[in-house]
Formats: sequence, structure tokens, C-alpha cells
Amino acid sequence: MISKISLGRYYPAHSFLHDTDPRVKTILYAIYLVAIFMIKEPITIGVLTGVIILQLIMGKIKPSILWSTVKPMLPLALFIFVINIFTIRDGDVLFSWKIIMITTYGISRAAIMSIRLILLIISTSILLTLTTTPLKMSDALESLFKPLEVIKVPVHEMAMMMSIALRFIPTLALETDKIMKAQQSRGADYDTGSFINKIKGYITVLIPLFVSSFRRADELAVAMDARCYRGGKGRTKLNPLKLKARDVLTGIMFTLLAVLVVLIDFALR
Amino acid sequence: MPEDGNKIEVTDVSFSYDISEETEGKAPRLALDGISVSIEKGSYTAILGSNGSGKSTLAKIIDILEVPDSGKVVIFGKDAADDDLFWDIRSHCCCVFQNPDNQIVGTMVEEDVAFGPENLGVPNPELRERVDQALKDVGLYEYKHRETTALSGGQKQKLAIAGALAMRPDILILDEATAMLDPSSRDDFLTLVEKMRDEKGLTLITITHDMTEALRCDKIVIVHKGKAVMEGRPEEIFMHEDLWNYGLKRPVKYNFAFEVAKLAGGTLTEEDLKTDESLIDALTGMLSKPGIKAPEALPASEEKSGDDIIMSVKNLSYSYDGGDGKAIDDINLDIRKGEVLGIVGESGCGKTTLISHMNAIFRPAEGDVIIHTPEGDLSCKNKKDTLKVRQNVGLVFQYPEYQLFEETVFKDISYGLKKMNVSKQEATVMVRNAAYKVGLTEKELNSSPFELSGGQKRRAAMAGVLVMNPKILVLDEPASGLDPKGRQEMFGIIKNLRDSGTTIILVSHNMDEAAKNCDRICLINNGKIKAIGTPKELFETGRAEELKIQRPRITRFSGLLKEKLSKIYPSISFDDIYFDPAREANAIVTAVSKAGGQNDK
Repeated sequence: MISKISLGRYYPAHSFLHDTDPRVKTILYAIYLVAIFMIKEPITIGVLTGVIILQLIMGKIKPSILWSTVKPMLPLALFIFVINIFTIRDGDVLFSWKIIMITTYGISRAAIMSIRLILLIISTSILLTLTTTPLKMSDALESLFKPLEVIKVPVHEMAMMMSIALRFIPTLALETDKIMKAQQSRGADYDTGSFINKIKGYITVLIPLFVSSFRRADELAVAMDARCYRGGKGRTKLNPLKLKARDVLTGIMFTLLAVLVVLIDFALR
Repeated sequence: MPEDGNKIEVTDVSFSYDISEETEGKAPRLALDGISVSIEKGSYTAILGSNGSGKSTLAKIIDILEVPDSGKVVIFGKDAADDDLFWDIRSHCCCVFQNPDNQIVGTMVEEDVAFGPENLGVPNPELRERVDQALKDVGLYEYKHRETTALSGGQKQKLAIAGALAMRPDILILDEATAMLDPSSRDDFLTLVEKMRDEKGLTLITITHDMTEALRCDKIVIVHKGKAVMEGRPEEIFMHEDLWNYGLKRPVKYNFAFEVAKLAGGTLTEEDLKTDESLIDALTGMLSKPGIKAPEALPASEEKSGDDIIMSVKNLSYSYDGGDGKAIDDINLDIRKGEVLGIVGESGCGKTTLISHMNAIFRPAEGDVIIHTPEGDLSCKNKKDTLKVRQNVGLVFQYPEYQLFEETVFKDISYGLKKMNVSKQEATVMVRNAAYKVGLTEKELNSSPFELSGGQKRRAAMAGVLVMNPKILVLDEPASGLDPKGRQEMFGIIKNLRDSGTTIILVSHNMDEAAKNCDRICLINNGKIKAIGTPKELFETGRAEELKIQRPRITRFSGLLKEKLSKIYPSISFDDIYFDPAREANAIVTAVSKAGGQNDK
């Protein structure tokens, strides 16, 4: 069901990673994003997977939670796998029939591509969404991009917008579900018929969803006004971000691990 | 005029949301039209009025969320027009709105509570102390690290209160804050708010459609078409008989009391209305006089439902993935042709899950739902029957107006017919029929659904289901959020549908309305049927206590009166209980006249 989307969902727990400064996690995430795309060798991929598993343990993330994050992306990973298998024609031929040709290199490339995608998703979830509340994440971005305020970038406003957007994902998912059921009960059909018909069917969901989002935005704006919101000026924070020695060490350690993995990968080529 | 430091004074304020200049000589519609209200510091005031009367706008003016076009607003001696005092006034006045989801900013409970004081620039550690105190005050302290979306509706509203308390306000405004809560969380919420008022000396202003809720206040202001038309203590206000003109009515117990007084030939005074005791005393006084005549018997309401079963729910169970336990558990239920069956129970008891199975929106995983039609039985389990099931069973969810999407109301209503292969002419007739049933006119059919008023939107959405001529209509809280007049109209529509032979399943958490409008009531608790029977069977004193359900307000109040009367007339017997105030009053006066006759002998 649509309300089960776990994208951007926070997983409340007390763990080492939950307590780590969100700015450190955001930077680490950027580093791992680059590292994941730089490595090609099976061994280094294995090592990096190990590092990510270590992060999972440090974030106390249950396998079931992880699975619900990865599951929706599996079809995409499979799609990438299949496309790569059939399009790469280098290497030893294992199987060939008419225009279809499967090679050893093709299989290894395809596997690496889809594993990278999955690692990327896991990395995003553990470092950011699952262990960091949206408000902390926007705090982190606000703090990291603070220097841009000099050139008149509305950093605080953008961070606020992001955190509200994330806060409303579950609410809107639930609403979509409700509207779909209501339309189904008067004859809408989202499962059968031609592709065009399906798209048309979704109009009956999208319009009410838009209308209700605008209404929500309106009401939320009034509610924020009533609570004296007036932008970032003079605002204090309940949990101000404080960089502790532990955060710095965590950052350095995981950065070194990533750099090491990339170096080994280069050395192996 | 000297400015009083102990009053909220709104003087001659006009306000319009229409910012466009006067177009074609038409003056913009005024939300407030020269309203004047004065509210004492520390008082507890209810603002009543129909939908669109301007009462919410009045609240926004007091919190200076809107700036009046003309007139003067002075809050405890501070002039709202003074730019220097703007934030000072706003920070001392807090609002809690109707929809819990649309006022929560934070993802975590404590983050949300902190939002207000953070905006005020409250430094740590005072900020932390305020947040913890506010959470302790409302009883959500253990939840402070929870996700806000995981809270129940009642908890979300308490969170909103905590968010307000953390700002240390002088004034708290509740803008229909209880409208979306079930009765037990509603009582809970109001008790909490009143306790906070006592402890912190808040000035409390509540906007509500619930007349009985308004009785808890010291003062009522009635707003109509942007003007304050009446003002006074509750007992003063409810002496008036013309409340209906403002889309309001008396609380149910007053309706009943005035009816009894009329039949007994007495009159009630303001003094009598002050408390339940004084009211009961006044009524027993009238009824203990000799020579009470039996009133004319009211025509008995006809029993329409027969024994034909039109739908059977068999051993139905369902659990959501990832949820703990079953949402509904082994439900067996026969729905009789032509009846109005009420399904009642607290939020989250499985009501919505149950009705979602009734037209195969949820396909039964365990058990089945069978629809008995003249052409044979339809099973909700069977995919081939789905279309037919949905034509036979119309399901209207809560707040159905949120499903409207077409350019015109006509097109929106006819949407369901597209899948039914009816000709254009036939469709036109069917749409008109459906619109007629819910009381929409040709003018509304041609306008955009988004231009209609709240009540009209709801009816248009209902027509979108009725257009398929369902034999069974399932309604989930059809009257929620409507004002007393709108509610009454909604139940009028339901009654007409029933009279024309539609079987109705009505989900409600309002016991008063369920008792009054249903032939049978099915009580659901934790996914199981706890009891089923006629309202009389369920709301008998002993039975209701055993089932731990709140009896309808009318029954509770008339029960007190009956108790008193039994002491005066030892021989009195009340053969029946009724849930319509007029009928119950009639029955009581009749019983008294009989017993009085025996006493004389």
C-alpha cells in the first residue's frame, strides 16, 4: 500500500549513529556517494559493503526496517541488471541465441551496477533518513549552507521548506490512499485497462490531492503564523547542533575507510 | 473611551477576505460586518454560529492573524493597530485549530512543542524547561521522542495544546478543536483545557458547533453574518427560541426540558436552566402538581425493516501488514433490508476497516461479505462480482467532499456512471435524480464543486455515490464538521433515503445521533462485535453500564428526572425509552398523568 512508502521515514532509536551530528552524517553521505561510484572491483565492493554493514549495526537498524526501504527499489535494480546483461558484449561468451548474447563481463558489470544502486539506497537510509529526523536534517543543511547567505540565498527558508515537506510525506500518502478508496467505491479502476486509461484514472486522485494540499498549506501557514513564526531571525533551537570530539572522530574514521577502499580499488586495476 | 486593561475589546470591526477591488459595483462579501465583542480576562467564552458565519475570522482577528479593514481591536489594553505591540500581542495569544494534521510542524513530539518558543527566541535551558513542563501538563511527556504522525487524533490535539502552553499565553483560542475527535477523547481534551485554564489563569475562547459543549462556558456569543447577534450567560442564551435562525439549536437536554414544561403547562425561567439539579427540580415541581393531563399521543414511528437479509458479513477478519493484531476479528453480521444500522465504537476500533469490506474496497482475506440481490448472491471475494457489488453497495467515506475533482458538479456526480454503460440521456436523468435526493438545484449542478459551501460539497459527493442507485448505502460519519442545522438536514436526507427503501449503514461516534436515527446499533470494540440490538436494548441503564458505553445525553438527563419522579409517584412506570426529545417528554408526561390519577384515588 502507498502509505507504506518508507522513503524519508525516520526510525526512532537510540544508537551511535542517531546521536552523531547530522552535519557529519551529511558530509559522510556525500563522501560515500562518490566512493560508491568510484569503485569497480568485486573485492573492494565487498569491503565497502562490510563498512556499510558496520554502519547499520552502529545505527541499530533492524533488518526488517532495512528490507522495507530496499524492497521498493528492487525492480529498478533488476531492470538495470537485465539491461546491462543484454547490452554488454565484451568478454567470454557464455550463452548466445540469435541477437541475445550473455557474457561473463556482462554479468559481472550488471551485478556491480545493481549492487551499487542498492548500496546507494542503504547508505542514504542509514546515514540520513532513518537515523536523522527531518528537522535535524534541515538544521544540518541550514548550518552547512550558512555561508551562502552572504550571497542572499534564503538558506533558512529552504531548510524549513524541506523539513515541512518531509513531515507531510506520511500525511499525504495516507490521504492519497483515502482518496483512491473513495474513487474506487464509485467505480474508478486503477488496475485494469490500457496505460492511457490508468493515467486518466489517476487524475481523479491527483486533482483532489492538489486541492487538499493547497488547503493544508493554507491552514499550516495560519497555524505557523499563530505560533509567531517569522523566519530564521532571532530563532533559538531546542536541540542546537553541537559538534563533539566524538562526531569529528567518527567523521574522520569513516572518511578514511572510504578513501582506503577507493585507493585499494585503484591499486587493483 | 478609556482602555480597559482587563478586557479583549473588539469594536465595530469589519473584514473581508475578498482583496479584489469592488467589481462591477458589487461590494466584496464581508466575513465580519461591524462586529463588537468584549471578553473579560480569565473568562471562558463560547463563540457559536453556523458554518461561514464569521466566527473563525473573529478568532483570527483577536490573535491578529488577520488585520481588520476597519474598527478597533484592543487586547488587555494593548492596541492591535500599534506595530510595536504586534508580536507582543500575538505571542500571548495561542490558537488550536480543527485539523490536527495541519498544525503540526515538527516530526518529533518535542520538536513540535518547541516550535513556538523557538520562534519567540527563548534561550536554553529555559526552552527545554518550558517544553518539558508543557508536555507534562498535557500528559504527553513519555511520548516526547515519538513521531508526531504516530499519535492518535486526541493526542495530536493535546500536542497542539502543549505547543500553545509552551509559549506561556494569556489567551487560548480553540477553533473547533474538538470537531474531529470521538466523544471520549473530546471530554478528555476539554477537561484538560479547563484544568489548564484554572491552573494558569488563561482566558479561554472556544468556537464550537456542539451546544452541550457551550454549556461549560460562562458566556456565549452568537455570531451571524459577521455580526454578534446575541451575548450572555448560557442560561440566558438558551431561553431564546429563535436560535434556529442562526443555524443553532438548544442543547438536547434543554429541548427535552422545554418540551416537558410545555406539556405540563409550566414555564421555565433562566434560574431553572442554571444547573441540572435546578432544572430537574423545576420539572419535578411542575409534574408533581395535581391534574397533569396526558398529552395527545404522537403517531408511532413505523417499523419498516422486515426480516429479509440483504447483506451478510461472515467470519470476517483482517489485519494490516505490519500492524499488530487484527483490525477486525471474526465479524458476523446480518443486515436487514430497509433498516438503518448504526455501527458505533471508538476511533481505531475497526469500523472503517469493516465498512471498507462491504463494497470490496478491501477484498475479504478471511471470511466473506455476501450481498443478496434478486438476481442472486454476490460475493465480495469474487473479483468478477466487484463491479456489481459496488453498484449495489454505495460507500461514502468521511469528509467525502475531498474526493470531488471535475469541472462541474454535474460531471462529478456522473463520474460513476461511466463504467455502467448507460446512455447519455439516461445518465442525465440519473444525475438529476441523485441531486434531487440530496437537495441540490440546477444552479449548483452547473457550478464548479469547489465553489460550493461545505455542506453543499458534502451533498454533491454523496450524490456521486447515490447516482448508481445503490440498494445499500454505507455512510461514514456523514454529519461530522457540520453545524446543527447542517446535521439536521443531513439526517433528513438519510431519513428520506430510508423511506424510499434504501438500506442504510451508518458509522458514527455520536451516541445521541445513532440512538435517534438507527433501528439497530452494532457496537464494535477492538475489532469484535461487542453487542448488537435496538437502541433501547443497548442504552438501558444496566446494559449500558455493562457495555461501558456512554448513554445518549437525552437518556442520561431524562433518567435523572425519572428517578426523582419515582420518589413522588411510587406507582409510576415508564414502559419505554425514546431518543427523540419530544417523544421522551411525551412519554414521561403521559406516565405522570397515569400515575397521578392513581395517586388521587
